[in-house]
Amino acid sequence: MGRHASADFSMGPAGVESGAQTKRGRRPTIWETLTNERNFRWTLVVPLLVLLVIFAFYPLFYSMYFSFHDWGMQGSPVFSGLRNYRQLVHDTTFWVAFGRTIEVLVICITIELLLGLGVALLWNREFKGQNIVRGLALLPLLVAPLTLSLLWYFLLDFNFGAVNQLLGAMGFDKVYWWAPNKALFTICFITIWQWFPFSAFVLLAGLKSLPKDVFEAARVDGGSSFYTFRRLTLPMLSPLIMIIIVLRAMWLIRLMDPLFGTTRGAVNTELLDWIVYRTGFVMFDIGYGSAMAVVSWAATMVLCLIMFRQLMNSMRAGR
Amino acid sequence: MIKRVLFWLVTTVVLLFVLFPLAWVYLTAFKSNADIFDPRLIRFVVFKPTLDNFRNLFSQYPFWQNLLNSLIVSIGSTIITMLVAFPAAYSFARWNTGGGDLLFLTISTRMFPPAVAAIPHFIVFKTLGLLDTHWGLMLLYVFLNVSFATFLLYGFFDQVPKELEQAAMIDGYSRTEVFRKIVFPLIKPGLAVTSVFCLIWAWNEFFFAFLFTRNVARPVNVLISSFWGGLQVQYGLMAAGAAITILPALLIVGFMQRYIIRGLTFGAVKG
Repeated sequence: MGRHASADFSMGPAGVESGAQTKRGRRPTIWETLTNERNFRWTLVVPLLVLLVIFAFYPLFYSMYFSFHDWGMQGSPVFSGLRNYRQLVHDTTFWVAFGRTIEVLVICITIELLLGLGVALLWNREFKGQNIVRGLALLPLLVAPLTLSLLWYFLLDFNFGAVNQLLGAMGFDKVYWWAPNKALFTICFITIWQWFPFSAFVLLAGLKSLPKDVFEAARVDGGSSFYTFRRLTLPMLSPLIMIIIVLRAMWLIRLMDPLFGTTRGAVNTELLDWIVYRTGFVMFDIGYGSAMAVVSWAATMVLCLIMFRQLMNSMRAGR
Repeated sequence: MIKRVLFWLVTTVVLLFVLFPLAWVYLTAFKSNADIFDPRLIRFVVFKPTLDNFRNLFSQYPFWQNLLNSLIVSIGSTIITMLVAFPAAYSFARWNTGGGDLLFLTISTRMFPPAVAAIPHFIVFKTLGLLDTHWGLMLLYVFLNVSFATFLLYGFFDQVPKELEQAAMIDGYSRTEVFRKIVFPLIKPGLAVTSVFCLIWAWNEFFFAFLFTRNVARPVNVLISSFWGGLQVQYGLMAAGAAITILPALLIVGFMQRYIIRGLTFGAVKG
């Protein structure tokens, strides 16, 4: 496909070719070599690749190197073989954080999808002021997660927080939202609050692009609205639901800012990346921290690869 | 009729749920400390507005400087990101360079947990003297944004039919002319959305800013987070700072709502 297109391209009297004719008999300059038909596409990609090698792949291999060493940022790294990994296997704190991250993933994505679907169905019509309403609902997505979590920490404060004051005014007991058994769910709540508009808008765009005639046919045939929803709307939305799940999972695995803004990893809220951060930058155990980072990277890659395959399948089925 | 009332009732509830905390920031920013910690419900909205928080923020803290740092770093990183991502995305979309694997490789770097990169980056930056500099933070944000920017732009380029370019070339246009007169006008909205996303992400980023800056290049987010912690939390200052940093988001929503929604769906939905 690509090769075919480029063959078509060279047929046109492109600037490079006519330039080569007038300057015949001279070796092409570096610029001409870079922009000729064969090389140009690669010239365009090279800056990106260089950047990724320096900033993404080099650190990855550097992390792997450190994970086989002991180092506390002083002196030089000492080779320690698999010791860090052996320690990691038996480290309950790490695996508890791992499980907790999965828990957050499942809770947040499920509720975001349900809320998002509800809102998308609600706003899937023309109404007065729809642009203003949608614009306002979009806002949380554009505000820094850190700022929002600081804000929620304030709102959920036991004594002065607005939420507890409202609860008190309505005759309920005040709730200590940051208690060890609640803090994780409170963080989930903040995340869901910020991100359900994302699902809502992606699904809304999906609903708007559905073919109308199919739904009219279903109505003529007397299908109830719930039946139409379950048998027509939901299957047609499934590729988008997959996209939301994949993207949100990618972002949620690295959930970090709400922890900084609220509990700072205390009371049972340490997640995967937080533990890596704490080991590397608070305890300065670079070797062990790198081993954790590598394991968490590998887990993320496996998860993403599986989900990407699912995504591709459902997109193909949707066509 | 009942249906319409119900619709607006639910819509109002949704909007209240979304906007209540943001409205709270602006209310708190204009409150005195006594009003912030007043447990009476009426003090939610009825209070004597004061500018003290803003005054303190600007006079006692390097708020201007940090705001400027945020601005420099987010604009600079967005420009570099676009300069790198734009040609690459065009190449991926136009010639399918690398047969899809290269594009996947690009996106996969976005899946790296930041902590994987943070430790080695910190060590390298320390050796190169890039810690706590604008350039250092800019480069980090380019790395964080470039793969996603490429992916987004790829989606937009992909919607420009190749036949259009080929026809123009046969008509005798040079490659630069084809690009300037045909591709560029079609890609403009995509370019705008992608830059806005890069700007917002760089503006909002916290973790790397927190780790890699101290004073010189500290962005405003890190300053705001410093009002939390220790023995007391300075809610008034925090709210005033947040109120100012939220402004760009408010402006962008006002101007670009439609395009942002298009960007969010990554060209997965036509329309």
